[in-house]
Amino acid sequence: PRPDIFPLPAGTNLLFTQSGRIEYVPLDGYKMKGSEAKTALHLPEKVVVGVAYDCVEKMVYWTDITTPAISKASVQGGDPIPIIRTDLGSPEGIAIDHMSRTMFWTDSMKDRIEVASLDGSQRRVLIDTDLVNPRAIVADPANGYLFWADWNREAPKIETSHMDGSNRRLLAGDGLSLPNGLTYDPQTSLLCWADAGTHKVECMNPTQRDRRGVSEAIQYPFGLTTYGTNLYYTDWTRNAVIMLDRHTGRETEEFHPQKKSRLYGITAAYAQCPSGQNYCSVN
Amino acid sequence: DSTVGTSTDCQRCPCPGGATCAVVPKTREVVCTNCPTGTTGKRCELCDDGYFGDPLGEDNKTKRPCRACTCSDNIDPNAVGNCNRETGECLKCIYNTAGFFCDRCKEGFYGNALATNPAEKCKSCSCSRYGTVDQETSCLQVTGQCQCLPHVTKRDCSACEPGYFNLQSGRGCDRCNCSPIGSTS
Repeated sequence: PRPDIFPLPAGTNLLFTQSGRIEYVPLDGYKMKGSEAKTALHLPEKVVVGVAYDCVEKMVYWTDITTPAISKASVQGGDPIPIIRTDLGSPEGIAIDHMSRTMFWTDSMKDRIEVASLDGSQRRVLIDTDLVNPRAIVADPANGYLFWADWNREAPKIETSHMDGSNRRLLAGDGLSLPNGLTYDPQTSLLCWADAGTHKVECMNPTQRDRRGVSEAIQYPFGLTTYGTNLYYTDWTRNAVIMLDRHTGRETEEFHPQKKSRLYGITAAYAQCPSGQNYCSVN
Repeated sequence: DSTVGTSTDCQRCPCPGGATCAVVPKTREVVCTNCPTGTTGKRCELCDDGYFGDPLGEDNKTKRPCRACTCSDNIDPNAVGNCNRETGECLKCIYNTAGFFCDRCKEGFYGNALATNPAEKCKSCSCSRYGTVDQETSCLQVTGQCQCLPHVTKRDCSACEPGYFNLQSGRGCDRCNCSPIGSTS
């Protein structure tokens, strides 16, 4: 075993990316066990941005803007396996549908959203119109929806479509500035986003469109993820992971990694997959 | 490798600032694990995203400390990967600019990429489809002059010179051939 990287411990962990590393911090209930935070993967020459976790095979997936590439590795300390290496510009957000074994990513240079099987085969462009700075992307496999945010300064927006790109609709546009982070909680059907321009966190049920504010006092969010009633986001001004209570809007905890540099994507690696199946996993 | 048992088994980490290191078992490659702030890479030879330089002075032996991407204020601070981490070449120019430091207008645009107001930076050439040589869409960087066909005038080649007509021909403008007696031009 390498002395500088550590397998993911049992239980729920937060995975986040920082300057050529994928780091983890274990959760104790909802609390971040900062003293047990370690490096899961060290890719010293890469700039790793987006991160996603496959709860079935216990693999971590990431986008890297230097190669550029999309790769995966076992969270037990496996070697990186490149999956997509051609025709990428600036791959940023990545989402996994663990049920139908597919992944989705945004590319802010090619201005498109693509899909492929988890092994890289069956790659296809889903959306390639009206995108300027697509970044965060999340999936709702049980209902077959995809959500993404575009931080285009002229017209920032949050959109949704089916997982095949059809039925594309605008969910939010007004009152947005730089919606960098986006997360979906299947338990409560809540889609939440964090905006680095308005300094707000907001949530909505995408079918009811009942947009509501959670906080108006965050600093500079980049990535956002959800676990239970909490939201966790990476912050560019504080170089930290910050825990936010979704009900009170209060920031209850802050974790500063050892290395002082920007934190990018963040995702919760659950101990077990959320239950359910969708039409793609049956067909 | 401390298992061999000789005095040279343990060597000092080849990392700056007393950073620790580790050996990758498969490749036996040495990797620094806690590079000084602002640097990264196997030997801490790279700058963090958004910065460029040569912190170890590897290329030409003169150290260039990491500094923020300098792209003529024509990048967005919310973007990632704004410049090449070694050379500083700008990779995500905005406001229709281009060039190593986003210091000129991109193809098909003209103006002053270095103007402070984004609205005054680079404007579209919008060359006239009829009056421009080979229907070119590019123009001169500063003045924005499109390359006009014979007897075609204006910046965007959208008009005939006085005494000429038929811009739509796509071959340039034709002489009016009006009788000099009885015509004003």
